[in-house]
Amino acid sequence: MSLLDLRDVGVRRGGRELLSGVSLEVNPGDLLAILGPNGVGKSTLLRLMAGLVPPSAGHVRLGTEPTGALSPRERAARVAWLPQERSSDSAQTVEEFVATARFRFGESTSVAIEHCARAFGQADVTGLRARRCGTLSGGERQRVAVAALLAQETDLLLLDEPANHLDPSYQRTIYELIAKLWRAGHGVVCVTHDVNLLAHLGDADRLRVIGLGAGGVRFQTTFSDESLPEKLSALFDTRIIALRDGRARYLVPAIGESAPREPS
Amino acid sequence: MSKLSSRRRALTGVALCLVVLLGAPFVGDTVRPEAAEFVLWELRVPRVMVGALVGGILGIVGAAFQTIFNNPLATPSTVGTVAGATLGALMALVLPVPAVLAGLPVVTVAAFAGAVGTSLVVGAVASRGQTRVEDILLVGIALTLGASAISTGLQYTADMLALFSAAQWSLGHLAQLGYDGVWVLGPVAVLCAAVLLSQVRGLEALVAGDELAESRGVHVRQLRAAVVIVGALGVAVCVAWCGPIAFVGLIVPHIVRRVFGSAQRVLLPGSLVTGAAFLVFCDALARVVASGRELPVGVVTAALGAPALVVLIRRR
Repeated sequence: MSLLDLRDVGVRRGGRELLSGVSLEVNPGDLLAILGPNGVGKSTLLRLMAGLVPPSAGHVRLGTEPTGALSPRERAARVAWLPQERSSDSAQTVEEFVATARFRFGESTSVAIEHCARAFGQADVTGLRARRCGTLSGGERQRVAVAALLAQETDLLLLDEPANHLDPSYQRTIYELIAKLWRAGHGVVCVTHDVNLLAHLGDADRLRVIGLGAGGVRFQTTFSDESLPEKLSALFDTRIIALRDGRARYLVPAIGESAPREPS
Repeated sequence: MSKLSSRRRALTGVALCLVVLLGAPFVGDTVRPEAAEFVLWELRVPRVMVGALVGGILGIVGAAFQTIFNNPLATPSTVGTVAGATLGALMALVLPVPAVLAGLPVVTVAAFAGAVGTSLVVGAVASRGQTRVEDILLVGIALTLGASAISTGLQYTADMLALFSAAQWSLGHLAQLGYDGVWVLGPVAVLCAAVLLSQVRGLEALVAGDELAESRGVHVRQLRAAVVIVGALGVAVCVAWCGPIAFVGLIVPHIVRRVFGSAQRVLLPGSLVTGAAFLVFCDALARVVASGRELPVGVVTAALGAPALVVLIRRR
């Protein structure tokens, strides 16, 4: 049984069609990277998957049920969402904020905080537990948001720019964590602008890359696809080239006429 | 703030509230010894109980409203609930209607109808897709101004006797309700506290925003509706019996955040207890501040609440 199934899904926003004809399936152990220019509806697509936005056409199923037929608590048991905006500007402490991610379990706050210990460790925020959310730096907020995502304990994870605001060291930490969850059998859908961070995840054949353009899905392929630079160049309307360092391949935008050609 | 010191502050706060609640019946003009027992048990004790119940309801409803509207200035006073209840109660006081209809006190029923009416308008605006919290507050201000204008018009056309009783009522008072007031307000306070305290986890999740709360399993619309309806009921009963008592729902949650902490599981019960003690304290002050006569408690809450709010906002 797939974790998530989108069939011919469309979304309308303010009278115009933002997305149409989107069909995707996420199974346990799948990792999908969603790439695309600003404003094409990547974040809306994640909200649709989380059941926060209803489709105007087609259907979105979590497991066997359409998202609209599930209560918020039932949806929260199947899918966790990391939004792009980190709104935790409150006077809540980090552990109180992360504990709210366990709302679906119906525990008291103190029990929920105890059950968050593993998530605190995984996202490396144990030292921040007593801090107020409003006093955290951008990078700390990001790690706290990831801890909350893990505390919800779902099989499907939706990540909107998970490495935003993080220095290279923590970017690596977060992507290694995602890789670990992926290998452990979670289904992961990740919206990102930095395709190279995906290279940290290994097993390029199994990493699915979805190119989202204006109106819908332009291509679906894997990270190991040799023609990925050309596909991304067309998607972003700017030349993307591949640089190699040993076995690793890095895709970067070519700047100026002197940009090196991809070695064949 | 370390854990120990925050616990000590909370305990000190609760102890202070208890001292106020237990000591208040003994505050007031000394009376002839033979009447002392009657004054204590038949006048002061029920008055303190009514004050505690009304203050508790206004405190906890104020805290819950601030959370569901995600704004420290959103309270039953600012989103129009109090103005609606006041308009309803004033209509029942001023217009020629019977005091009791089908066994129910008309003032209470009319106040409840007014509170629910304004809450439905605010609720309808709030449930329309992407409404901002600022819009809800503006609708609340518009409703308050509209209800006040109608209330003023009603008083202008009323006869002298009705006008006097309406004017006295509209200042907010706790006197002379006796144990009848306790029997009416007690169950309402228990209902309000039980429903709102049962929603603490949802309110904690809501602090991070509607969408994130929804994604974590909170039925945000149901939660808002439950809080608004229960809050309207509690406020309406308080207004019908005691008049509009200003600032309790606004100021008490701010005090609680500073003394006890801002987590919802502390804020809500803290506002219940502190609201009770705050209103009883203000009422005791109203009995002694002007020798020989009593001030309406609403005057005291406003006189203490307004400057305290300004100080709190400046300190933020």
